[in-house]
Amino acid sequence: MNVAVTPAMIGQVLVSGVLAGALYALVALGLALIFGVMRVINIAHGPLLMLGAYVTYFLYSQTGLNPFLAVPVAMVTLFVVGLLLQRTLVFRVVGAPELSSLLLTFGISIALVNLTQLAFTSNLRTIEYITGSWIVGGLALSKARTIAFVFAASLTALAFVFLRSTRLGKAIRATSQSREVAMVCGIDVGRIHLLTFGLASALAAAGGGLLAVIVAIQPEMGGVWTFKSFLVIVLGGAGNYPGALLGGMLLGLVEQLASLFLTTQLSEVVAYVLLVLVLLVRPSGLLGGRQT
Amino acid sequence: MLPRAAFLIGLVVVVVALAVYPVFGTGYGVRAGLQMFMWIALAGSWNLISGLTGYVSFGHVAFFGIGAYAGAILITTAGWAWPLAALAGGAAACLLALLIGYPCLRLKGPYFAIAMLGLNEVLRALVSYFEGLTGGGSGLSLPTLDASRAIYYVMGGLAAAVVAATYLIVTSRFGLRLMTIREDEVAAEAMGIDTFHHKLAAFLLSAAGPGIAGALTARDQGYIEPISVFPLIVTVTMIVMALFGGKGTVWGPVVGAVALFVIQEIVWARYPHAHPLLFGAIIVAVVLLMPRGVLGLLQLRYRLPRTI
Repeated sequence: MNVAVTPAMIGQVLVSGVLAGALYALVALGLALIFGVMRVINIAHGPLLMLGAYVTYFLYSQTGLNPFLAVPVAMVTLFVVGLLLQRTLVFRVVGAPELSSLLLTFGISIALVNLTQLAFTSNLRTIEYITGSWIVGGLALSKARTIAFVFAASLTALAFVFLRSTRLGKAIRATSQSREVAMVCGIDVGRIHLLTFGLASALAAAGGGLLAVIVAIQPEMGGVWTFKSFLVIVLGGAGNYPGALLGGMLLGLVEQLASLFLTTQLSEVVAYVLLVLVLLVRPSGLLGGRQT
Repeated sequence: MLPRAAFLIGLVVVVVALAVYPVFGTGYGVRAGLQMFMWIALAGSWNLISGLTGYVSFGHVAFFGIGAYAGAILITTAGWAWPLAALAGGAAACLLALLIGYPCLRLKGPYFAIAMLGLNEVLRALVSYFEGLTGGGSGLSLPTLDASRAIYYVMGGLAAAVVAATYLIVTSRFGLRLMTIREDEVAAEAMGIDTFHHKLAAFLLSAAGPGIAGALTARDQGYIEPISVFPLIVTVTMIVMALFGGKGTVWGPVVGAVALFVIQEIVWARYPHAHPLLFGAIIVAVVLLMPRGVLGLLQLRYRLPRTI
């Protein structure tokens, strides 16, 4: 632990933090969308990410498809799963007390994880498609992580362009600002809810698919991601979509710094302490956001 | 008055029967009774924070686990008697609840639920990290001692205490204030209720039971490890029990715990791997179809008082 910290190590930590942070931002954006539009915290967000990882894994291992090309397929698959979940179950608790939506999505979440365990066992699975690193200016860039970063950053950028510039994206933002006013403007709020849940599930699936290329996957991988996505939203400010970007980068950096100065074993503890500290000091998020 | 008298007589009969059972019961029967008491205490404790105030705790197993570790460490390294160690387990759980509740309950909204969801992972990581104290992943063995019958009575007393506490709270002004927070927290604040301290008090109360139950379970089983005392399924089970019986009621968690425990022992024991799927389905079904649980349905149909 008493290794001297060199500038190169700091550089490495910054790079690794940014690489991880883009993935956090991508996944958290989905959770933030559902929360913004429906006021529902989707506890099943992490398990949906896990499903995306499994779709990617099986496309790669069964058909030999390039895993990065399998990611869009996983996104489409989970988009449909999200539509079905919203259409059959979740829409019933939109507008209900928070307790109902939390418990409902919690029930969905443990059922999804258990179904996956029953179907595919709890064995760890890995995609060994791309290994090794590029050395750039004395810094090692893991090939898999760098490509995943490029994908995650592009998808996040695409999602922002969609939200900012398309009619549908504007309708989603309008609904999250005020459901009633959106209705008065002729927006079919039920349809927006449906699309938002599908879109958020697709974003989670993208995160899961990219993650499957980087690390080993297993059915219980999702729980931590629900928690971390929420932490990213809290860091950025609830209801503040660009805040998710900042929050994601910040979480990535803090975790990497913690693994440099402490140990990787405690990275979840560090994330937790971060959440508690932010809630104590600045509950509206670092950029400030709408109070909930 | 008559149904009330019949209810009280029935209650006394059940309590007496349970009290004399260990005298002639089998070892398996006593162990099963002990577990049933444990589930009543756990489901009832979850109900105190989540059923009464509406703040969902997804990590109540953390208090069970911290109680188990505190109790086990005090018994093995400090040589405490187990009843004392059980109380210390409850105290440790309350201390943890204070640490989590202070930052997370000041805010309205889902912060508390998510913080409790993450707590589980964190504690498991911490227990594995501080191996010197906890034995790490290889676990902690307690000196052998056959105290199942004694623990049966203590666990039974704990279950009774949780139910009695719930009754006292539900019928008190304190309980009314908690339920006001559940129905409309802004209105509660406007009426002058110090919502933060009320929520915190309910949370501390709800942590004590699982802490004691954890220490008792550690003593009874004689061996603990991170996976055995922090499993997510314990939280899931207590939530399912309280929801199924009827959250926010006095007897709902008891009904849910007894019904689901018995069904689980008889029917589902053959499919242990599918328990989470089943519990997840029950949670979804209860939330959508009977949000007030079995007891809530009975209350509506037979005009029973709120305080059952």
